[in-house]
Amino acid sequence: MATARADTLQPVELADGVEIQLRVAGPAVRSMAYTIDLLVRLGIYLGVWIAALFLVLPGIGMELTAGLMLLFMFFMEWFYNVIFEAGAKGATPGQRSMKLRVMSMTGGPVTLAQAVMRNFLRVVDFMPGLYLTGIVCMLFTRRFQRLGDLVANTVVTYADPPPSPTPVVEIRAERRAPAQVLTREEQAALLQFIERAPLWADERRVELSTLAEPLTRAPGTEGLRRLCGMALWLQEPEEKRGTPPPLKGAPLFRS
Amino acid sequence: MTPAQFEKHIEPRWQKLEQLLTDVEHAKPRENVVELPATFRQVCHDLSVAQHRMSPQRLTQRLNALAIRGYRVLERRSSGGWEAFVRLFLVEFPQAVRADWKLFWWCTALFYLPAVLIAAITPAHPEWAMSLLGPQGMVQIESMYGESSTPADYVRDSFGSGFAAFCFYIWNNVDIDFQTFAGGILGGVGSLFVLLFNSIYLGSVFGYVHYSGNPMTLYTWVIAHGAPELTGIVISAMAGMRVGWSVLRPGRLERRAALVLAGRKALPLLIGAAVLTSIAAVLEGFWSPLELPPTMKFSAGGVCWLAVAAFLMFSGRRQADAA
Repeated sequence: MATARADTLQPVELADGVEIQLRVAGPAVRSMAYTIDLLVRLGIYLGVWIAALFLVLPGIGMELTAGLMLLFMFFMEWFYNVIFEAGAKGATPGQRSMKLRVMSMTGGPVTLAQAVMRNFLRVVDFMPGLYLTGIVCMLFTRRFQRLGDLVANTVVTYADPPPSPTPVVEIRAERRAPAQVLTREEQAALLQFIERAPLWADERRVELSTLAEPLTRAPGTEGLRRLCGMALWLQEPEEKRGTPPPLKGAPLFRS
Repeated sequence: MTPAQFEKHIEPRWQKLEQLLTDVEHAKPRENVVELPATFRQVCHDLSVAQHRMSPQRLTQRLNALAIRGYRVLERRSSGGWEAFVRLFLVEFPQAVRADWKLFWWCTALFYLPAVLIAAITPAHPEWAMSLLGPQGMVQIESMYGESSTPADYVRDSFGSGFAAFCFYIWNNVDIDFQTFAGGILGGVGSLFVLLFNSIYLGSVFGYVHYSGNPMTLYTWVIAHGAPELTGIVISAMAGMRVGWSVLRPGRLERRAALVLAGRKALPLLIGAAVLTSIAAVLEGFWSPLELPPTMKFSAGGVCWLAVAAFLMFSGRRQADAA
């Protein structure tokens, strides 16, 4: 759809030839996921340290315990994210709690190689501190990719589709053909307008429909009514129906 | 077909796909799982049609989410487990080194030449090495490889201390490998910096030990594990340079595509370097501290260097011919 401009939807063509929309996640929500992961990691460290101190240390002695702890720290530092992201869920605990997911830019799940690549480059994304490089890089790329994402060809997206409220509303407006031919983008805008209009206050509807005054040639409520009429016409032009359509109260949504 | 009719028409299909995917995602596929690919394609087709007809968002969003879910399920592939890992190290890694042999020799030269240079001038001009090492470094080297030291000073008697040392070298040296690689994305500068820094430091240590210590202690200690360890750092820098070079000179590719491609090429190098460094950690933890006569140490060390060289030169050649 031609509506990808004002939102974070990014089109990706799958191998099956269909175009899907990915909702890429921005720096803010990813920072929160990272913070949660940091806390989870700290918790794991704390738990393992305590366990090592009271359970392992008396059994195998100081040197072996210290060595095992170093190994454990090494794996936590470099492979915590890798293992979770390459797993079935494609997300670390922090990312999952923020409803995020790491995906390959091809639309598929992340491979182990990609997970290694994007996480090993965290060192550089972190520089000079607090992921400054990564955040700057994210702000300059369309898909909010940090350096690791660029090299691994991955993207962080929202895992679930946004909740789409589907109020059942009858829009009472007279179906009318637009006075001029509308481009596909304009048609899409109209259709989305009528789909979402029930969620807004009256003032907001009027405000938005006033923007379309060159098309409706009427201000205020009359313009809104005409705009809704055109949207209804786009949804179901009269010509396509065998029987004459009801002039008023065509139900828009089926629950 | 009106939009409402269309929606009604396609509903059974996506509901079926949803049910199939739920089954598969919970690892409980039923008999009709064979219909999954066909149903998936059908729903993809429906999504295209819905997008083209500008169907309501709740419909396109639902189909879109289903398409993503289905694609994840269908495209999931196992990483190959240990077999793939062994193959990566034994076959793809030496192949990748040979494929980029120019880069390998550049990195090798950049690592060994400054080291040899500074080690060679130290006996005549020790002030260079001294200023590089600093007073603390010099004290440390005196205590480790001083004139009164002997190879026997480094004997570790217990398994525990060897294991602790092994873990320390994994934690420290493999960490350095990974960081050297990561630094490469900054146009290669990071990798180059680590490479040169380590080179000069190593050179001054050797030079200084020759100047005021007992070189025998040092050489018997490092000769064996030095082979995989130094090769490991050179190759991890090489992996970083591979990525950095694609940023500087993407060639005919778009820079972003060149970066992705270089990342894929660098991965076997990086993993191979990490494995070499881990092998070095094993040697450094358990072999190097053994109390053996120097001739034994030197011959074993020579074997290590030859083994690393032969491995990089010959391993995986047959598979390359077969492919």
